[in-house]
Amino acid sequence: MSNGKLAREGIQDGFPIFLGYFSTSLAFGLLCRSSGFNVLESTFISLSNFSGSGQFLMINLFNAGSLMVEIVLSVFFLNTRYMFMASSLSQRLEKPESVWGRLMCGFGTTDEIFTVASFKNRKLEYAYLAGLIFTSYSGWCSGTFIGYIAGTFLPDVIQKAAAITCYAMFASLLGGETRRNMKALLALMISGGVNSFLILIVKLGTGISFLISMLITAVLAAFIYTDEEAGV
Amino acid sequence: MKRGILMIILCSIATMIPRIFPFFMPFLSRLPKFVRKCMNLLPVAALGALIFPLALTDFGSSWYAGLGGVALSFIVAYFKAPMIVSIIVALISTTLLLII
Repeated sequence: MSNGKLAREGIQDGFPIFLGYFSTSLAFGLLCRSSGFNVLESTFISLSNFSGSGQFLMINLFNAGSLMVEIVLSVFFLNTRYMFMASSLSQRLEKPESVWGRLMCGFGTTDEIFTVASFKNRKLEYAYLAGLIFTSYSGWCSGTFIGYIAGTFLPDVIQKAAAITCYAMFASLLGGETRRNMKALLALMISGGVNSFLILIVKLGTGISFLISMLITAVLAAFIYTDEEAGV
Repeated sequence: MKRGILMIILCSIATMIPRIFPFFMPFLSRLPKFVRKCMNLLPVAALGALIFPLALTDFGSSWYAGLGGVALSFIVAYFKAPMIVSIIVALISTTLLLII
């Protein structure tokens, strides 16, 4: 496939993420406004961080009057889960030697981009990833900007319903995965069960809960899946 | 707001270190087989925790709207619908469930 075709495929796959990010970052833009940031600072947060949970955590702690060192450390620990995703993704690259390509992929390793890219059953080309990452990134940054200046104009019910977009994308990936291998349902039950338990009952933060659930499930799944099924 | 800008830049660094670092560690491909198997299964392992419980709790007392949307998009995708179709199905069903 040519680079243009690959990039177009990436843009297409990124469109659902664009929608999900756009609607989430509208809310983020609104939050920034009510927290006393100006529009440039708010957009700069999304441009430089490109991370949903991390940015919300940063603003919440900032509003609570936390120390800078506390804020930065919390954001760091919330983001440790990306180390595992980035390691997994780095082994799927078609041309692992390109420094700029790897920098771009690292910058773009979010939950959603990682998940969509991982379910491509082939080596990943930089043209494809560039399309995927750029589409998602533009949704995230433009949503923040527009949310800051106009977010309140969207009807409440639409804003709320749009929150389902990313979850629907994950559910759709899971549907395809289950068709190929029923064991995906088992992984879903373990991972969703552990995460619900940790968040709702143990009351852990979402970042650390997600990290623990993902790691426990991956290890258990390694016993459930055969080597061929796991592609080793 | 000088302090704010410094905070934003430091948080950006704290976000990007765990994301970019692993892409520059070549020994990752020479890890033991079992570890590589676990890493290959991370995407599947992540899905459940990405959906539950937040897809429900994001909707507060209307949690069934989130559940309905997620369940329908799963079923539609299981029967080979493209992703965009299953997302539209979820958007419509969640909106309807929120209105009821």
